[in-house]
Amino acid sequence: MAGFILKRLLQAIFVVLAVTLIVSFAIRLSGDPAVMLMGGGGNVTEQDLQNIRQALGLERPFYVQYLSFLQGILVGDFGRSFMGGTPVSTLIAHALPSTLLLAFTSLLVSIALSVPLGVYAAVNRGRWPDQLIRILSLVGLSFPNFWLAIMMVLLFSIVLGILPPSGMEGPESFVMPALTMAIILTATNVRLVRTSMLETLSQQYIMVARSKGLADRVVLYKHALRNSAIPLVTYIGLQFGSLIGGIVIVERVFNWPGMGTLAFDAISGRDYPVLQGTITVLALFIVLINLLVDIAYGLIDPRIRTE
Amino acid sequence: MAGTQAVPSPSRRRFRSLEFALGVILTGGMCLAVLFSSVLFPDGGESMDLMARLIPPFQNPAHILGTDPLGRDVLARVIVGGKISLTVGILSVLGAVVVGTLVGLIAGYYRGIAEVLLMRFADIQLALPFILIAIMFLAILGTGVDKVIFFMIVAQWVQYARLVRGSVLALRDREFILSARAIGVGNRRIIFTHILPNVLGPIVILMTLNVANNILLESSLTFLGLGVDPLIPSWGGMLADGRTYLQSAWWVSVFPGLAIMFTVLGLNLLGDWLRDLLDPTGQTSK
Amino acid sequence: MRFSRTLKALGFTVATALAPLMAANAQAAGTITVAVAIDPGSWDPIDTFLVDWSSAANNMFDGLTARGADMKLKPGLATSWEMLDNNSRIRFKLRENVKFHNGEPFNAAAVKFTFDRLLGEEGKKGPQQSNYNTIDKVEVVDDNTVDFVMKQPDPVLLTKLAGYGAMIVPPKYIQEKGEDYFNTHPVGTGPFKFVEYSPKVSLTLEAFPEHWGGAPKLDKVVTRFISEANTQVAELQAGRIDVATLIPFGLAPTVEKSQNLDLISITGPTVVSLRLNTKNGITKDENVRKALIMGIDRDAIIKAVLLGHGKPIASFQSELSFGNDPALKPLPFDLAKAKQMLQQAKVPAGAPVKIDFRGNDATFREVAQAAAGFLQALGLKPSLQPYEPPVLLNDIIPNGKTGEAWHQAWGGWTFDYDNTAYLMYHSGEKWNPYDNDPKLNEMLEKQRTIYNVQEREKLLQEIARYVADRALEIPLYNQNTIYGVNKRVKNFDAPSDRRFRFQETSVE
Repeated sequence: MAGFILKRLLQAIFVVLAVTLIVSFAIRLSGDPAVMLMGGGGNVTEQDLQNIRQALGLERPFYVQYLSFLQGILVGDFGRSFMGGTPVSTLIAHALPSTLLLAFTSLLVSIALSVPLGVYAAVNRGRWPDQLIRILSLVGLSFPNFWLAIMMVLLFSIVLGILPPSGMEGPESFVMPALTMAIILTATNVRLVRTSMLETLSQQYIMVARSKGLADRVVLYKHALRNSAIPLVTYIGLQFGSLIGGIVIVERVFNWPGMGTLAFDAISGRDYPVLQGTITVLALFIVLINLLVDIAYGLIDPRIRTE
Repeated sequence: MAGTQAVPSPSRRRFRSLEFALGVILTGGMCLAVLFSSVLFPDGGESMDLMARLIPPFQNPAHILGTDPLGRDVLARVIVGGKISLTVGILSVLGAVVVGTLVGLIAGYYRGIAEVLLMRFADIQLALPFILIAIMFLAILGTGVDKVIFFMIVAQWVQYARLVRGSVLALRDREFILSARAIGVGNRRIIFTHILPNVLGPIVILMTLNVANNILLESSLTFLGLGVDPLIPSWGGMLADGRTYLQSAWWVSVFPGLAIMFTVLGLNLLGDWLRDLLDPTGQTSK
Repeated sequence: MRFSRTLKALGFTVATALAPLMAANAQAAGTITVAVAIDPGSWDPIDTFLVDWSSAANNMFDGLTARGADMKLKPGLATSWEMLDNNSRIRFKLRENVKFHNGEPFNAAAVKFTFDRLLGEEGKKGPQQSNYNTIDKVEVVDDNTVDFVMKQPDPVLLTKLAGYGAMIVPPKYIQEKGEDYFNTHPVGTGPFKFVEYSPKVSLTLEAFPEHWGGAPKLDKVVTRFISEANTQVAELQAGRIDVATLIPFGLAPTVEKSQNLDLISITGPTVVSLRLNTKNGITKDENVRKALIMGIDRDAIIKAVLLGHGKPIASFQSELSFGNDPALKPLPFDLAKAKQMLQQAKVPAGAPVKIDFRGNDATFREVAQAAAGFLQALGLKPSLQPYEPPVLLNDIIPNGKTGEAWHQAWGGWTFDYDNTAYLMYHSGEKWNPYDNDPKLNEMLEKQRTIYNVQEREKLLQEIARYVADRALEIPLYNQNTIYGVNKRVKNFDAPSDRRFRFQETSVE
C-alpha cells in the first residue's frame, strides 16, 4: 500500500509541475503586461516599457522566470501581482476560502437534493415519480449556467427582493450561487444514486433483509444507501475539478470574490504571477482530492492498486 | 453484465419510449429547422431595421417572436443561430471521438509507453480548470468558430481515450479475443473488427452528452466575451447580448435560451435513453 | 415511502433560513456605496492609470490643482501659481495648515517628495511617470512655496496636476511604512481617509473632518468592485449600492423605469470612432474612406443603439475637449452618394470590410453590428472580429494586423485633443500603425510647444480639420457618461470623468 501511495504521490507532483509549466508558458504567448499596465494612455515610450518590464522581471529568459516561480512555490511565495504589487499568496488567502466554501456548499446542497430524489426514483423505478425526477433533473442540466444565474437574480433579488444579487456576505448570499452550481451537479448525482441504489437493491442480502420483514425505510437507509455511498463519494471527488471550472462563470455573475474571479482578471490583465498562482493552487486541490479518492479506493478495493 | 435481464415492466417500456420520443422530437425538430433555415430565412437573420427595434413577440406577423435591439427578427436568428451551436457541438465531438478512440485503442491494446503517456496526459487535463484554460487559450489564439472547435477537441479527446482504454482493457483478455489471436488474426484486425464494435456503446452515450455539453460551453464562452463574429447569429451570442435587455425586452434572450434548452434537453434525453439501452449495468434489474 | 416528509422538512428549513432576509437592506445612514468595475489592486497614485482608481481615490487624495464636476480648473493644495522664466518655471503657493490623515503636515517638502518619487526609480515601475516627464524637477523655495522646473513646455500640466500620479503623498509615512504597505494602506490629504481594503471586494473610507475644504457630510464612502454590468444594476435595484458606474446603454431604460433610481446622463470624455486602414484593403483609397464615412448614419446609431445618450462627433474629441471646433461637421450621411463614390473608386460589390473590436464592450458590440448593417447596404461584405482587449491593444493595432477598420474608444481625462491626437496621428506612435504624414507630424509637434491658449486651440482645430479631410477615421460619437443613482443620494455632483468627490454629497 505504501508503495502505491508513493507512486500516486509522485504522479501528482508530476501533474502539478506540468500544469504550472503549461500555464506559465501559454500566458506569455500573447500580450505584454507592461503595455497593459501603461493602459495605452500617456506618452509612453519604449524606454518606459523597458523600465516596467525590468521592474517586473520580465526581461529574463522564460526558463529563469519559470524556475524562480518554482523556487518561490517551495517556500510558499507566489510572487507579487503585477497590478498593485500585492503578494499573490495574500490574494489567494482571500479568494481560496470563498471558492472552497462555495464549492462545498454546492456539493452539500446537491447531495441533499440528489440522495432523497435518487432513492425515491429507484424505489419507484419506472413509475411516474421516477420519470418526473429523471426528466426534471435533465432539464436542470440543459441551461447555460450563467443564464440560470441571471434568471435567479431577476426572480429572487429584483422581483421578490429577498436575496442579495451579488457578493459574499452572510449565509443568504450563498443561496443563489450554490443553487446554480447544485442544480447542474444534481442532474448527474440523482442518476448515480438511482443506479447504484437499483444495483444494491437487487442484491441478495437486501432481498433477504426485506423478506425478513424489515421496514422499507430501515433497509433503504441502513443497508442500501450505505452501500451506494462509495461510488457516489468517488464520483463527487472526481467532480471537484469540473465544479471548480463551472465556478468561474458563477463567480463572475455573482461577483464572488473567489479564485475564478482572481484568475479571470489575471488573464485579462496579463498578471502572470496571479494566474500562475491561482491555477497552481487549484490544480493542487484537484490533484489532492483525486489522490485521496484514489487512495481510499485502493484501500477498499485492492485490485485497483495493481493497475 | 449481470445475466438477470429482466423483462421491463410495461410502464418502464412506456417510460423509455417517452424519453426517446421527447428526445427525438426536440433534437430532431431543432436539427430540421436549422437544416432548412436558409430556405426559411434567406437573409440569414441579418436584415437590420433600426426603426423596428425591440418589437415585442406575437404583435407583428412579420416578426412572430419580436425583434432584437437592432430590429432583426428574433425567430430567424434563433433558427439560423442553431447552425453555429450545432456545428460547434457536433464537429468538436466528432473530432474528439476520432482522436480519442484511436489513442484509447492503441493505449489499451498495446499498453506500454502509449498507455503511460495517455494516463499522465489525462491526469494533467483533469487538474486544469477547463473554463479558465479555455479563456486563456482563446485569448491567446484569438476567437473564431474554428478555434473554439479545435480547443474543445484538445480538451475532450482524453475523455474518449480513457473510456476506450478502459473498455479495451476489460476486453483484451476475454476468450473471443484470445482465440482470435490464437488463430492468427492480426492486431489491427482484432482492434477494428472485434474490439471497436464492443466499445461503441459507451462512446455513443458520451458523444450525445458531450454535444449537449459543448453547445452550452459555446454559449458560456460567448458570455465571457470570447465568442464569434456577432453578425453571425448564434444562441450563445444572443443570450449573452440579450442579458442587458432581460428586464426591458425579455424575448431577446428568452427565446434563444429556450432553443438551447430544448436542444440540449433533447440530446440529454437521447443520451440517457441510449445509456439504458447500451449500458448493461443500467439493465440489471431488481 | 416517507420521503415527502423529508422534502417538507427541507422546504421548511429553507423557508426559515430565508425569513430573516426579507428585511435585509444594506443601506446604512451616512454611507454611500459606489460600484466600479475593476479593483486597481494598489491605491498608490503612481501605480495605475485606471479611472476606477480615481473614482475611489479622488476622495482620499488632493492634487496641487483640482477640477470640479464642471471640469473647471481651480486651486487645490496650491492656492495660486504663476509662470516664470519664460514659462520654464512654474511657482506654486501652497495651502497652509493642511494635514495628512496620519497627522503629518503638508508642505513644500511633501510636494518635492511626491514628484521626486514619481519621476524617480519608484515611478519607473508604474504607468504614471510618462505623463509627467515634461517636469525636470521640483525645487523647494520655502515651506509654502515650490517651483516646478520644466524640461519642455507642457500646456496640459496644470490639468494633469489635478489627478492621478500628481496626487500628493505623505513622505514620512511612506519612508517609515514602506512602499508595499502604502499600496494597501494609503494616506492622503483628501476629505475621506482610508479604513479598510479587501482585494476584489471593496474599499472603505471614512470622513476626515479636518479637511481644508470643510468636513464632508457623509460618514463613509464604500467602493465595491463589480465587473458585470447586469450585477451592478441588480445591486442598484436592490438598493444595495447607491451609484452604479457600469451601465451599458441597453440597461439605461431599466434604470430609468425603476422608481427608486435616477439615470444621470452627461457629456463624458469617451469618444468612439472606427479608424481606417490607410495602407491595405479598399480603405487605402481616400475616396473610399470618405464613402464609408458617408455610408454610416451615426445619428441613427446614436438614436437607436445609444438611445440618445451621445452626440455625433467630427473629430476624435468631445465638445468639452480643448481643441474641439463646433464649426467642424462630419460628412453627412448620404447612401446614394456613398455608393456612387464606391463605384467611381471601382470597389467591387461584396468587397470585404473587417472591423476589429473589443469583445467585452456590450454597447459597441451593437454599434459595430449596426455599422456593419450600413456597410452591407453599401454593397460591401462586412465582418466583425471581437478581440480580448489586451490582444487588440497590444498586438493587433500596434503591429498593424487590423482589418480595414478598427474600434477606437478613448477618453482622455485631461480633455485636451493633444492627449489623443498625438498618439493616434503622429507617425511611429502605437495607435498609428499605418499612416505617415509629415505635415500632420509637424503640426502635432508644434502645438506641444505653444503656451498661448488661443494660438494652440487654433492649431489643434486645424489638426482636427486636416484629419477629417484625409478621412483617417469614421468619426462616430461622443458617448455620455451615465450613472444609475439611488434617489436617496442628495447633492451628487456627477462628474463626467467619473472622478467622484463626495465632499458635499449626503444620503437620506
